[in-house]
Amino acid sequence: MKFQLKTRQVCLFFIAFLPVSKLFTMPSIIAGCASEDMWISTLINLLLDLITLSFVLWTCKKTKTDFFGLLELNFGKLGSKIILLLYFFTFFFKALLPINQQKTYVELTLYETLPSFLNFLPFFLVSFFFCCKRIRVLGRVADIFWVITLIGLILIFLLSFTNSDFSAVLPIGAQGFINQSKGAFYSFNWFGDCAYLMFFIGQFQVKKNDCVKVFLSYLIPGLFVVFFMIIFYGVFTSIAFRQIFALTEISKYTIVINNIGRFDYVGIICILASNFFALALPLYFASLTLNKIFNIKPWICSLIVNGLTCFCVLAFAEHFASIEKFLSVYGNALFFITANVLPIITCVLKKENKENEVSAC
Amino acid sequence: MKLVHAKIAMLITLLLSAIFFTNDFGLIDIEKTAIVTAIAIDQTDDEYSVSMEIAVPESNKLAENKKALLSGKGKTVSGAIRDMGDTSGWYPKLYFCNLIILGQSVAQNNVIKVLDYFAKTLRIQDSATVVLAENTAKELLESTSPLDNISSFALQKILLKNPGFDNDVANIDVKTFCADYYSKNASSLMPKVSIIRQENTDNSNQTTKDESTKTGGNTVFNATKTALFKNGKLVGELNENQTFIYNLIMHPSKETALKVNGVDEAGEKTDYLLTVVDNKRKISLGADRYNLDLNISLNLFCRIADQNSKQSKTTYTENEYMDIKIIKKAEEQLYNDINSLIEVSKTSGCDFLRVNDLLYRYCHKYYPVYKDSYLSVFTPKISVSVSGQK
Repeated sequence: MKFQLKTRQVCLFFIAFLPVSKLFTMPSIIAGCASEDMWISTLINLLLDLITLSFVLWTCKKTKTDFFGLLELNFGKLGSKIILLLYFFTFFFKALLPINQQKTYVELTLYETLPSFLNFLPFFLVSFFFCCKRIRVLGRVADIFWVITLIGLILIFLLSFTNSDFSAVLPIGAQGFINQSKGAFYSFNWFGDCAYLMFFIGQFQVKKNDCVKVFLSYLIPGLFVVFFMIIFYGVFTSIAFRQIFALTEISKYTIVINNIGRFDYVGIICILASNFFALALPLYFASLTLNKIFNIKPWICSLIVNGLTCFCVLAFAEHFASIEKFLSVYGNALFFITANVLPIITCVLKKENKENEVSAC
Repeated sequence: MKLVHAKIAMLITLLLSAIFFTNDFGLIDIEKTAIVTAIAIDQTDDEYSVSMEIAVPESNKLAENKKALLSGKGKTVSGAIRDMGDTSGWYPKLYFCNLIILGQSVAQNNVIKVLDYFAKTLRIQDSATVVLAENTAKELLESTSPLDNISSFALQKILLKNPGFDNDVANIDVKTFCADYYSKNASSLMPKVSIIRQENTDNSNQTTKDESTKTGGNTVFNATKTALFKNGKLVGELNENQTFIYNLIMHPSKETALKVNGVDEAGEKTDYLLTVVDNKRKISLGADRYNLDLNISLNLFCRIADQNSKQSKTTYTENEYMDIKIIKKAEEQLYNDINSLIEVSKTSGCDFLRVNDLLYRYCHKYYPVYKDSYLSVFTPKISVSVSGQK
């Protein structure tokens, strides 16, 4: 059996890409629902993901087939194709909001003059190329970008830490479970990274303690995100819900920035660079599922997925508020099912594969 | 086939390069541009009048930066800025604007109608300082100061002080003002700036006189008073002493000067100037069903900087012994100032000490009981201690 990924790469994958996409508009959306308890909403999502992760890791250790094999064993050929179609829609919709966020963010903050769509077009070109590749590309990208993510996170955290009023998150739990759950529900778009791990089943060799390593590499960046929420609310308090570009805003009130200038952009650009691939991930997996459903060439799948996303971002540029509203109700329910419920069901229903077959993705 | 792929890759690379490198003409030549340094906003009837001070950087180091003032009117702030662009043909970039001045006319209504635009737009940094002018905001920009020929730069010198200077201005930025407005206590504050006309004296130092002539100004600014806002409306102000004590109990204030006047020494009144080396401060709230206690604790460690006594045996380079009489007088003075500060908060209704936040965060159980009456109900318990070298 030839493995496409190494355990190290799976760990670095989560370190590099799990926290970055959650630092843009997600904090303001959760703050709008749960105010000072926004970190609890984030923690709820993290816990949900960790439960799913435990099941997936357990399956990784026990099974000798891959995700597609598991689906076929459990649900049959047609059933597995329907589930993969669900995953295709999940990844496609999951990509829309964060990509549009990053586009708006780049256009508004990094360009002085009226930005044209061409400024963001390279994303789709690179993403197209990325989505044509085999799954080992994810490991290679993670090998490079985990350092960049770490530099960005540390810089932003250090600069914003001193400026945060941590007492602002008190009293703990005052918003009540309903608001906290609302915050968790409306941010499902940015969580559910365990779904990616499903596609890694059978693609890396699970040795002794590897499950613990992967679990920790999911948990620690997840806790980073929770801590970011606390700092974020401590900096903006009552107007946190309006800070749609949390990442740029959070560090600029520090005295050092006032005196020296916006060198926090070093950290911001590091995170933007990692986020570039984090945003392309759902598109990658959407292409992969399309490839598995219809058995067509990877570059055609990549073209369809990236072309469709590019079209949506272009065509609905001024209507993303409506798309956000739609996804916040229907999309989030789908995200929860595919990222948390289906993986657990698939893992629990797990049947033994007699052929020990792993397909090369 | 490989050659075709290579050609396609090359073509894509060239296209990408074109996208990234064709904005060279969009870059701004710093010597041909102008930077908005401050925005002044006044209100006449139902219209906003926005004035912008523009600094034109000079390439010659010896030449002073030129300045210009542009104005526009509109029903909204952004409308007024657009109007200015329409009439002047120049649509200003506000990214370097660090100061927003509000006129008295704006403060008569809810100032958040104006400031919210700056807190939400990405055209200007919400870390910009916001101040209230004693009269019109435009007047502040029009005045010239010996400190700098660009009045907003001169104004920023007294607003944004480095650590080690007197902490006598209640400085605030747009973000904090808006966060305070939308907080549970809905109370915020900002420095109130007045213009002080200075008389030119003949015996002034020649260099100073030259500087003054060069910059052409004879006015300086005072920002030691603080305007108080409740629900965005001006409800009162803090005087110089109250602003100073507010800063002492709310923010770290190292190396700021504390005046202690009228210390009785052998039947003679002596005035001291103390340097606050460190201020340990704590504000907490204690609540039960019958009492709401606001505990303010201020602990200053000071050094004698100057005194007007007949004789002194020590030099100022060493930390002089602090007499108990000075300590008692300083403590009494600070105690009275804190009391007067609380009185202003109670009478104006502006909860700048954030009692409501404390109630919500630390005594949440009693929040429903006191949330509407906390300002009139709370009892201050003040503890002040001053110490120095013994």
